[in-house]
Amino acid sequence: MLKHLFKLIWNKKKQNFLLMTEIFFSFLIMFAVFTLAVYNYQNYRRPMGFTYDDVWALSYYSKDRSDMSEDSLNLFYETLKQAIGNAPEVAAVSYVSNNSPFSMSENSSTISSGKQNVMTDHYSGDDDYPRVLQPVLLSGRWFGREDDGAKLAPVVINQALKEEFFPGEDAIGKVMKVGDREVRITGVVQNMKDKGDYKSVRPAIYQRTGKGSYAWLSRMLIKVKPGADAGFESRLYKQVAGIMQDANVEIEHLTEKRVVKNSITLIPLIIFGVIAGFLIINVSLGLFGVLWYTISKRKAEIGLRRAMGATGGAITRQVVSETMVLTSISVVTGLIFAVQFPLLNVFFMPKGVYIIAIVLAALFIYALAVLCALYPGRQAANIYPAVALHED
Amino acid sequence: MLKNYFKIAIAVLRRRKFFTFISLFGISFTLAILIVLTAFYDHLVSPAYPDHQRSRSLYLNSIELNHRKKQSHNQGPPSLYFMNKFVATLKTPEKVAISSIFGPTNTYVNNRKLVINVKYTNTAYWEVQEYDFLEGKPYSMQDLDAGSRVAVISRETKENYFGDAPTVVGRYINTNNEQFRVIGVVDNVPKTMLYSYADMYLPYTLSKTEMANKSYNSNFTAILLARSEKDLPAIQSEFAAMIQKVPLDSAQYDEIKGSVDSYVASFTRIFNGGGSSAAAVRRLIVYVSIFVFLFMLLPTINLVNINTSRIMERSSEIGVRKAFGASSGTLAIQFIVENLILTFLGGIIGVLLSWAVLSIVNGSRLIPNAHLGINFTVLGASVLACIVFGLLSGVFPAWRMSRMQVVTALKAN
Repeated sequence: MLKHLFKLIWNKKKQNFLLMTEIFFSFLIMFAVFTLAVYNYQNYRRPMGFTYDDVWALSYYSKDRSDMSEDSLNLFYETLKQAIGNAPEVAAVSYVSNNSPFSMSENSSTISSGKQNVMTDHYSGDDDYPRVLQPVLLSGRWFGREDDGAKLAPVVINQALKEEFFPGEDAIGKVMKVGDREVRITGVVQNMKDKGDYKSVRPAIYQRTGKGSYAWLSRMLIKVKPGADAGFESRLYKQVAGIMQDANVEIEHLTEKRVVKNSITLIPLIIFGVIAGFLIINVSLGLFGVLWYTISKRKAEIGLRRAMGATGGAITRQVVSETMVLTSISVVTGLIFAVQFPLLNVFFMPKGVYIIAIVLAALFIYALAVLCALYPGRQAANIYPAVALHED
Repeated sequence: MLKNYFKIAIAVLRRRKFFTFISLFGISFTLAILIVLTAFYDHLVSPAYPDHQRSRSLYLNSIELNHRKKQSHNQGPPSLYFMNKFVATLKTPEKVAISSIFGPTNTYVNNRKLVINVKYTNTAYWEVQEYDFLEGKPYSMQDLDAGSRVAVISRETKENYFGDAPTVVGRYINTNNEQFRVIGVVDNVPKTMLYSYADMYLPYTLSKTEMANKSYNSNFTAILLARSEKDLPAIQSEFAAMIQKVPLDSAQYDEIKGSVDSYVASFTRIFNGGGSSAAAVRRLIVYVSIFVFLFMLLPTINLVNINTSRIMERSSEIGVRKAFGASSGTLAIQFIVENLILTFLGGIIGVLLSWAVLSIVNGSRLIPNAHLGINFTVLGASVLACIVFGLLSGVFPAWRMSRMQVVTALKAN
């Protein structure tokens, strides 16, 4: 039966060639769409790993203060933090590096442990960081006062970095190298999706800010209590701008920044989806039209088959299976291209994403082909042998 | 003759309405998407208010500092210090406009937060960028030198801050806990124009952080206006000679790179690093062409498919015409003309569709203050796309048809 179908397709290869090219390209486009969709959906499903409601980012872009003595810098910034923290509306305050949640800036470099090197995102926060963002601690503890006298600087790493360096063992107390500097791990936190809901997992390290780092810091995160309104925001703003006369101060809400950051991922995806959707509608209409036309051309042949006793169902089945064979040839050709992506590790996406995307794209194309073939197939089944044979 | 073809085409279109619908759907949506994308591209790159003089302007938004031994690398906008000391002193440009990249400040009006993006500029900026002053005027050299606390604001800022006040020149605006006297109001600029957009413009002497900054990196951009387009290469070579002589603190960096480019190239350079800007623009064009080609491929194959079916359906007509002496060429031309007519019909629908989409985009304020429109470049591009589309999808079926034997054609139906 199958062999017979292939023969039928092969005999009309010229006619079918364009149709197959079309299905082939549609498969590739759907593969791309599903890859992006699956990738982003998998990222979206992972937990955030921290809270961002009621957290404000206060940035101060001031002049270069590196000429100030370290002591007066420390005093200045610690007083500022205290002044903000003392307000009844504020729950917690932490100085952070510029790559704070949902900001555009990123900061990464390689970290080594033994002979292994891993590209890692670097974040900084002070001892109050966990009170502001509430990261989920998996083991160990966040750095704090007790690390003041430690010989090696304390760091917290995320789950992904732990899996890279210490799979299956306890990472607490282990030593790593950041540049030339040795650091000791005090805690492991859950991966945080700090660059939006669709951020992929990346190894990250959290370093301690404090004395000596104020010269290059320019942002703090403030967790406010529910009910802190625009009135408080303007008072806070006036207070900070009053203390830092020469700085450009800005307050942003993380909830709003998250929306912006997500839309940067979503808008291209939506545009791409709309274009792909249009192409697919185009293809399905074309497929439908051409199948319909070819069926009407084959009236005589189908009439003859019906006269020989074939049922309407059998005719429909034949039309649909012919289309399936046609689709299979295109999909298999498409597969040859698609499997290169997981094999060659293009774009560094997880292999699973490509495989799911291939399966989904193939299913989608088959479903589309069957849907487009069903109506012309039914049409063919309704051909009366007497009428069909009479025509010729 | 052409009138005859037109009549035949319309008759054929009306006979098989479903096929006509598929063809028109494919053509019109493909064109609509292309027109919308071109409108976005056009909005991003062609000269527009207030940057009208792009054809004789060169732009600088990034320099690169390297230490080759330490492998350290720093790329970003230059500082005001660098601009004033090295760029503004170039001899060939007529004027050099210097401005910072807009930076947000907050202000609170009636318990409502307002984000005001501030840009610090020199006075030449107002001569290079041709703003429409709705009231007042820009700040003068005296204002700049004296560090007067004066500001030019955008219409949007005026509306947000002062409400429906008829005139605001002479009134005070408070942001970042500082007070500025408004001396001018200019029409809004869309945020996509990095060199021109801001809500409030201030003399650069008011930027305390920047006046104290003696390093080469910060957040300033420059526009170098040439006397005529012929001067552009001369400015580029003067800049190249200048940047080689910039003194460097060898402990930090031992190499400085940078160049002034045309508008598009100044952005492609950011992705391209130190490479030649012409090559980057060429690459951009190649990528865009590949995308457009791939995008148009599917609808075109689809159209070819449908056209083939359509033409084969008319084999008896072809047979008769051939039998009466029409050459293959005549027939092929007839079908191509028919197809072009169909494509143009689809093109008209496509223009209408894209017009609808663009009005929605403009209405949704996806890009605030931007007005995307179907201008002549966009329309020209779409007409060209129509012709390419029509030929692409018409040639193959016409060729297949013209090879058909008279006997087969006549016998077929």
